[in-house]
Amino acid sequence: MKKVSLLLTLLFLFLFSGCTKEEKVLHLYNWTYYTPENIIEQFEELYGIKVVIDYFASNEDMFAKLKGGAKGYDVVFPSQDYVEIMINEKMLLPLDKEKIPNLKYISPIVLEKATYDTDMSWSVPYYMGAAGIAVNRKKVASYSRDWSLFSDKRLDHRMSMLDDMREVIGDALAYLGYSVNSTDPKELEAALNLINKEWKPNLVKFDAEGFAKSFASGEFLAVQGYAEAIYEELDENRWDEVDFFLPKSGGPMYLDSMVIPKGANNIEAAHLFINFIHTPEIYAQFLDRFHFPASVNTEAGKYMKSTPFYRVEELEGYELKMNLGADLALYNSLWESIRYND
Amino acid sequence: MNRKKTKLKPTTLVTPPREVSPPRQQLFKDHRRLGFSNTVLVLVILFLFMPLFVVITYSFNASKGMRWTGFSLQWYYKLLFESRQLWKAFLNSFIIAITSSLVATFLGALAAVGIKWYRFKARSYIQIISFLPMILPEVIIGISMLIFFSAVKIPLGMFSIFVAHTTFNLPFVLLLVSARLDEFDFSIIEAARDLGATERQGLTKVIIPSIVPALLSSMLMAITMSLEDFVITFFVAGPGSTTLPLYVYSMIRYGVSPVVNALSLILVLAIMVMALTFRRFLKTIAASS
Repeated sequence: MKKVSLLLTLLFLFLFSGCTKEEKVLHLYNWTYYTPENIIEQFEELYGIKVVIDYFASNEDMFAKLKGGAKGYDVVFPSQDYVEIMINEKMLLPLDKEKIPNLKYISPIVLEKATYDTDMSWSVPYYMGAAGIAVNRKKVASYSRDWSLFSDKRLDHRMSMLDDMREVIGDALAYLGYSVNSTDPKELEAALNLINKEWKPNLVKFDAEGFAKSFASGEFLAVQGYAEAIYEELDENRWDEVDFFLPKSGGPMYLDSMVIPKGANNIEAAHLFINFIHTPEIYAQFLDRFHFPASVNTEAGKYMKSTPFYRVEELEGYELKMNLGADLALYNSLWESIRYND
Repeated sequence: MNRKKTKLKPTTLVTPPREVSPPRQQLFKDHRRLGFSNTVLVLVILFLFMPLFVVITYSFNASKGMRWTGFSLQWYYKLLFESRQLWKAFLNSFIIAITSSLVATFLGALAAVGIKWYRFKARSYIQIISFLPMILPEVIIGISMLIFFSAVKIPLGMFSIFVAHTTFNLPFVLLLVSARLDEFDFSIIEAARDLGATERQGLTKVIIPSIVPALLSSMLMAITMSLEDFVITFFVAGPGSTTLPLYVYSMIRYGVSPVVNALSLILVLAIMVMALTFRRFLKTIAASS
């Protein structure tokens, strides 16, 4: 009995110990795997700060959590539209740029696109990229390297697009020559027609989770998706079977940033971390892990050891998915009519 | 919903199996090989265990994808040596499961004894209210906990998850222990009191020893429910308290790695060992009393 109660006390001490000691801990709230573990370990070693990471699967999850009153996260990694929302909702702390000298490596092209925060007062870009198309080169001989690929009857029911309304509608808008953030009913109508009449009949499904596995197994021959998710499912010796490209007609693009939310405990360490990430040698390790192009931190490109899955230049003509505010409801109803009507 | 059903299973563990085997059952046994009940049995077992089987098979796959390329233990190696974050999440889950199930068992057992033994005005109300966390949808419990914690300024984290898990485990403990107490003859307590036992001695020397099996099974159930809970934990988790289900869920953006398959096999084996030893333990208790 004594042993049991001793064990109990120990367990409870463990449970509450998190609340009492605050020294030298940095809390990250990040997408899973987004910051490689060896980078975290290098940071811990260099500064003697323990890093504790929590994960979210979507911006909505993260936002709901912070809005619901979660405090104590020091650095959070939201995407562009949520950075804007969080700035507007006054959920962020201003950055002390003097403490982040590595900001000089951030590409001005990226900042130009981040219209909500061009001078990095609130957010520091982490990575900018876009979803593209992956084609199984071994099984498909000829195909158009554009979004019109999804109208190809020869690939009927061997293709998938992401279950993500901004990506799919955005591609259709860009293909028709409109802005991916368009709220013009006529333009949206045209995009809706293109998706429903030309693309959707050829798709197996809209899928954001399992498509990479189906593509790797050879079940799907062409998929719209993120390069890192697709190649992750394939062993390296099969990488040349895949043709991954970003269509020239453009499309939607994302920009994940690092921000310090209100309620952060260790603002000092948060600045150290943001600065550390953008050290070119360190940032190159992040790019190497995912085979990303050096879109945000151009200097880091020089230290990269791997070939990226796509080139920075391919992102030209791509447009950030902006916060649509009240017009989001318009997209929601469009998406419903795409997903659930036959 | 089927969650509830599977959860109630451990009650069968409470009754000693030996007494309930009337010889009449023998007569109805179907001796044909492919009788209706056998077919259903096989189909159900296949349906239940095929997914598990697939997961276990692919944990030994040499490549990442769903294409079998050869046997390999690389995912186990990665699980054991290169998955610091995953083990951190597992440790969090484990701590929460043990602490919350202990406290829930303690509180729930006392509540069950109180409700069965004493007659008072609010008795039936307390009984009904304490079953609320079992009946209400998890989303509602989760969101109301979140609102409650931020209203009373309790920081979200391990402690808030612990409180939430204790809350939703309570009614199950209460249910199991009161089912056991239904068979308990309270005149034994009267006899003990008559012989000079204090109220506390009545509890610790008479009631608790006779409900130990129910306590153990409800605690095990509380542990499993706490380990697997996602929805409520999702709402009340805070900095540094990612549990295993939250971690696995957040992986979907880059695809769930086969390391999780390897972890599943280890968990399944551990739980099987635990269940078997527990059954043997219960049998010895039943035999000794």
